[in-house]
Amino acid sequence: MTAAVVSSPALEEVLARARELIGQWRDEDCGTPTVKDFCRYAAALNDGGYIRRARALEADGRPVEAPALFLAATMSWEDGPTEDELRPDGLARRESPCTEGLPVRQVHGGQSVRLVRPPVAGTRITAARAVVSARHKRGRSGEFVLLGVRTRFLSPDGGELAAVDETIVVLDATGGDR
Amino acid sequence: MTAPAVGAECPPRRYAHTSVQLFRFSAVSWNAHRIHYDAAYAATEGFPDAVVQSTLHGEMLSRHALEWAGPGARLESVAWRNVATAVAGERLTWAATVSSVEGARVRLDARILKADGSECVTGTVEVTRAG
Repeated sequence: MTAAVVSSPALEEVLARARELIGQWRDEDCGTPTVKDFCRYAAALNDGGYIRRARALEADGRPVEAPALFLAATMSWEDGPTEDELRPDGLARRESPCTEGLPVRQVHGGQSVRLVRPPVAGTRITAARAVVSARHKRGRSGEFVLLGVRTRFLSPDGGELAAVDETIVVLDATGGDR
Repeated sequence: MTAPAVGAECPPRRYAHTSVQLFRFSAVSWNAHRIHYDAAYAATEGFPDAVVQSTLHGEMLSRHALEWAGPGARLESVAWRNVATAVAGERLTWAATVSSVEGARVRLDARILKADGSECVTGTVEVTRAG
């Protein structure tokens, strides 16, 4: 149900910006996660079993693998902007591609995660991220833009750890039509 | 666990996310989007309470699948679509059906349902069971 005409100027601008960005891959340094990073993630999921196993492996000097979706769930690897640089909804520019300064809001449409190799604590991880699609749609609740963002996580040897495709739904925050 | 059959229903799992968990998950995943921890802000976007994170739904789809698959099971992939919003304290149910079996690799059609039985999240999870 793709609309032929975009009614919202804000969404039209999102589409224009996204189309400029499509295929432009940006590298990110995810740093070197530690066992503590993994355990804190598990704690937020009430997974005490993971924490006990991870700490026991660490005490034995054995490798500790991250919780399966640790990379996919982490929203940003940047040091992060200060609060005054966040959008009113709390999102940073990186988490809200193509929308800076526009009266829009966004929600997550869904995600597809393919796991290749689990990251191990103490190993540096990099990511490559790009907007890969931008589509205008019209549904029951009005028009919106679907942004497709792909992230590939890599180990120091260049091997792929995981690939994540996510869909970001961008809606006009003002109601939309011109 | 014996080999699962295509079409078999997994026992459902019922749960709810507390507002404390939503805050902690936002913090640990570096997600500052206010709809997930600021109920008053969430209300300005039309949500009745703090909104469950998409990736937390993905975690629940995966974790219940791994639990069902038994000790040593490994997650291969997960994909999901957010159909409706869930909020803090809302009663949710994980349900899944075996859609394919290739050796130790099992694919589930999984969903998260709201209290009235409507779909909140739909997706697929692929796991490899321990030998």
